[in-house]
Amino acid sequence: MPDAAIKPPASLARRLFRAPESGLVLVILAMMLALTVFGGTKEKRVRESVSGEWTKVTVNRFLDFENLVLVAKDASFIAIMAVGMTAVIVIGGIDLSVGSIYALAALLGAMALRALQGHWLGVPAGGEVTSAGGAPLWAALPVGLGVCCMVGAACGALNGSLVVGLRVHPFIITLGTMAALRGVVFVVTGGLSISGLPESLSAGFFKAGIAGVYPVPLLVMLVVACAGHLVLTRLVLGRQAFGIGGNETAAQYAGIRVGMVKVIVHTLCGLLAGLSACVYLGYYAAFEPNAGNGYELSVIAATVIGGASLSGGRGSALGAVLGALLIQLITNAMIILDIDSSYTNIVMGAAIVVAVVMDQTKARLASRRG
Amino acid sequence: MSQPGDLLVAENISKRFGLTQALSDVTVRFAPGEVHALMGENGAGKSTLGKVIAGLLKPDAGRVMVDGRELRPGSLQDAFSAGVRIVHQELAQCPNLSVAENLCLHALPRTRLGLVDFRAMADRASALVHQLDAGIDVEAPLGSLAPGRRQICQIAAALDERPGTAGGAGPRVIVLDEPTSSLSVAEADRLLEITRGLAGQGLAVIYVSHRMGEIFAVCDRVTVLRDGRFVATTPAASLDEPTLVEQMIGRKLETPVRGAHAAAGARTGRAEGEAEAGAIRALAPEHATGQAGPVILEVRGLSSPGRLRDASLAVRKGEVLGVGGLVGSGRSELLDAIFGLDSRASGRVEVEGQRVRSVRGAIAAGMGYVPEDRRRQGLFFDLSIHENLVLPFMTRLASALGWRRLGAERRLVREKVAAFQIKAASAGLSPGTLSGGNQQKVLIARWMGPQTRVLLLDEPTRGIDVGTKAEVYRLVRDAAERGAAILLVSSEMPELLALSDRIIVMCEGRISGELSGEAMTQANILRLATATSAPAIAG
Repeated sequence: MPDAAIKPPASLARRLFRAPESGLVLVILAMMLALTVFGGTKEKRVRESVSGEWTKVTVNRFLDFENLVLVAKDASFIAIMAVGMTAVIVIGGIDLSVGSIYALAALLGAMALRALQGHWLGVPAGGEVTSAGGAPLWAALPVGLGVCCMVGAACGALNGSLVVGLRVHPFIITLGTMAALRGVVFVVTGGLSISGLPESLSAGFFKAGIAGVYPVPLLVMLVVACAGHLVLTRLVLGRQAFGIGGNETAAQYAGIRVGMVKVIVHTLCGLLAGLSACVYLGYYAAFEPNAGNGYELSVIAATVIGGASLSGGRGSALGAVLGALLIQLITNAMIILDIDSSYTNIVMGAAIVVAVVMDQTKARLASRRG
Repeated sequence: MSQPGDLLVAENISKRFGLTQALSDVTVRFAPGEVHALMGENGAGKSTLGKVIAGLLKPDAGRVMVDGRELRPGSLQDAFSAGVRIVHQELAQCPNLSVAENLCLHALPRTRLGLVDFRAMADRASALVHQLDAGIDVEAPLGSLAPGRRQICQIAAALDERPGTAGGAGPRVIVLDEPTSSLSVAEADRLLEITRGLAGQGLAVIYVSHRMGEIFAVCDRVTVLRDGRFVATTPAASLDEPTLVEQMIGRKLETPVRGAHAAAGARTGRAEGEAEAGAIRALAPEHATGQAGPVILEVRGLSSPGRLRDASLAVRKGEVLGVGGLVGSGRSELLDAIFGLDSRASGRVEVEGQRVRSVRGAIAAGMGYVPEDRRRQGLFFDLSIHENLVLPFMTRLASALGWRRLGAERRLVREKVAAFQIKAASAGLSPGTLSGGNQQKVLIARWMGPQTRVLLLDEPTRGIDVGTKAEVYRLVRDAAERGAAILLVSSEMPELLALSDRIIVMCEGRISGELSGEAMTQANILRLATATSAPAIAG
């Protein structure tokens, strides 16, 4: 008689279904289906590719390529940061300052890019800088990316060092840096926005149009999601992070450099906030001083909806990205279904609680099945 | 059917957790005035039965009756008002609150203004606690008490007659679930006295434990469970240890093969519980004495403020150095400091002449440490068994930039799971799915390997069943034979005596003496363990 204990390996479909993110994917698909059915249709002007004539076609309000890419774009700023936040929450921490880091990185990035543009156009200091012409992509992209990411990483490293060095809970530290960094932004800008960023970075790269849509933020988000997933699952650092979040004492007994890992994780979270800021600068070609205001809550919400546990030890980069998509879908649904946008926050708040409760129920059922 | 003389009857109880049948059709009768032990290996269902009786768990089938009245299944409230109380295995209390607050938490007395009446609270608490132990300060934070006194407070709480409960009887049945598992010898003795005292007052005491010495010291009758089934209820007086062990594990132990001082250990271990010594005699293989290999681990002048005072020791290749002493004497602190976990420690630790300064240095030098509390200090329940086994060595196995080499990891995991016979459905599952014994084996397997030079073991057999204990003993001897230097902390005397080549004894953070050969007796260990230095300098 064959040994009953040896089970055949689970099929791919089964494994996919068992993946912790599967529930979230189902919710997102169900929501997309509902929006497709109930969203109705609208008229859209489309240009014939052959004749070049404008014609009117009727399209589904939700299931329209343009709308979908727009949703993904809006989600991508949050999603990129949510990947970093996942790592922080996995080690049992939290970073409330991502919105402020995002703003500061965008501000310093914008100032650097504007200076670069001015230098390239030969405009004297203090002169009017236009975005047209000027610095080419090979100069603008490294400056933009470099400054934004470095500023973000530095802020993250500051958070991490304070958390580890002062042994204060990250909630307190990042609550402080959230306020302080936001203050720095307002002091530096005086509440004014910054424009005059190189066109090559916006229209030429981050807002490059392909077939009428702007997919670059979406692509950045996908790359970050995959990279984040690999860091968390396939790098020693990631597994050490999970170990620390699940049981910090045991991590010390296992010889993990807990403080070091925490600083690195906070630095990565800051770095991703900086990256997100760079995408934002590129996409909108301008800096607004209240950029990223309140983002920390959306980012944390996306992370938690994505299955991360605030007590540490659990979380997934892919889940966080799906969480960000779900949040954006809800916002989009309010528009598609013609619901007053004032209700958005109410629905969003309810959705966060429902999502987390559902996730926990699923986990409890799974553990009960043994 | 309730028979005359039975106070509480658990009848045909069955309980299932997932795939595990924890209890099947178990019937046990408890009489007033007796201490009735529930015994069995881990997973035998003894704790589950205790919880069912106390209403903490709802049985799938069967009923619990007190004086012939059936209790509402799974109702703690109903069990409580019928006088059935439980003192839980894990100390579930609020350490930040005072003893009095902990005892009155369910109904804080108030003044007329609605404020907490601290005086009334203290009076009530002391009335409860001082019948058990007059030395407890009820206004001190519970967390500041020694574990033994905390346990006594919990028993006191269980004895409380809750005011205002309609028809609330006083305590009549009390379930003690592993009450001594976190206590020192002296504390455990005190607890056993209290237990006898409770039975003397006419209570039925249900004593869940797997410490044999205690069972014979305190119990009138013993009910043994095995794999969730009832085996037998026997008066303790007509029971000897080998029979009890046989009832628990369902087979006879093989004829003892004993080494020179396994015998010495067993001789002195009699008072502690001869059955355990017998099990060790039977299962620990004979080992040569007086090995004189090179010194592998050398510790000189290791001190840490408030924890350790000038500890020096040397362990040779292939030697097991036992560390005796009472709980809180600094044994775990010594291991922590040797492993580099104590940042305030001063002194020298050398492995094969190489100085070790940090945990990472210790691991790199081939040191492994199985800490005392596997749930808190050892295992990662959010990670898989696989990752639990390799996490400290992941960096060593990984390629540049810390990219994991899953192939190498899996190979190592497969070897360890096979070598240590870890019974897991899959290495991808959480260690939470394993039994206590297998969890311990995961932890031992993590640190035991071909590169292991030094192995620090702190209570390696705590909370695991007899069968796994024997495996652990074999693993420890095997590792010594392969040339590791082993430092073994154990509160179980027979185990310490049988496994160690030499024993050092700790008292108040310093090494109070060393024993070898014929001097390794329980009496000598206890003498050194309680050898308080004349001007007792605390912390």
